[in-house]
Amino acid sequence: MVHALRRAGRYLRRGGMLISIRPHRTWRPAIAIVAGGRRLPVTTLLNPTFEVNLEAADLALERVVDEGSFALAGVRSARFRSYLDRPSQMRTYLELINPPRPRFPRGGRARLDAMWDSAPRGARIEVMESLVVNALRRR
Amino acid sequence: MTSTELSAYPGEGFEPQLVEHFVSLRRKRVLEIGCGDGRLTFQYAPRALSVLAIDPDRPSIDEAIFQQHARGLSNIEFRIGSIERLPRPGAPFDVALFSWSL
Repeated sequence: MVHALRRAGRYLRRGGMLISIRPHRTWRPAIAIVAGGRRLPVTTLLNPTFEVNLEAADLALERVVDEGSFALAGVRSARFRSYLDRPSQMRTYLELINPPRPRFPRGGRARLDAMWDSAPRGARIEVMESLVVNALRRR
Repeated sequence: MTSTELSAYPGEGFEPQLVEHFVSLRRKRVLEIGCGDGRLTFQYAPRALSVLAIDPDRPSIDEAIFQQHARGLSNIEFRIGSIERLPRPGAPFDVALFSWSL
């Protein structure tokens, strides 16, 4: 990752900006059932393999700043939401994510199904994901 | 984002708005690394001066080129490849964008 960042820096004019958009390392995807203005948290998804990659990305971005080739211009985190009509769409949703994909913790999927069974008509499943944007200015 | 357009990514315009908090993409020369099928590229390219968008996955680039023609955008060059294998023609870009690829 450090090599890719250094390499990208060679294509940037002085003062140019390197932007990294990636999933937030610690804000895990959160599943909830929403209905009638209420939000009932179900569980958060796990992705230990990917979290290692995200930690490496954070360290790589820090390293190129420490090396002096870039200056940190800023970091911004944000959340975004997707909505599913029924639990069976979770499989499709997860397959849209590039591997390694997140998974339910033990008992998480059963909890979703149980809560869905007792949810009122018109309920939807909310998947709240997060991202982080790093901006580095080439020195 | 509604369930009728199921996506694991943010809605249209969400990411460019975050990027433009740091740098305007208007009339900029952009290198996008890991562009996939151009999902994000097509959101900002109309404002950019030019875009070189690379990804190692051939089917994704094929889809991006198909979409590019359908949208009539002429300022994007989609290319199969990675940042490590890109020829080095100097420092021609204003912005290097790692889109979910670092």
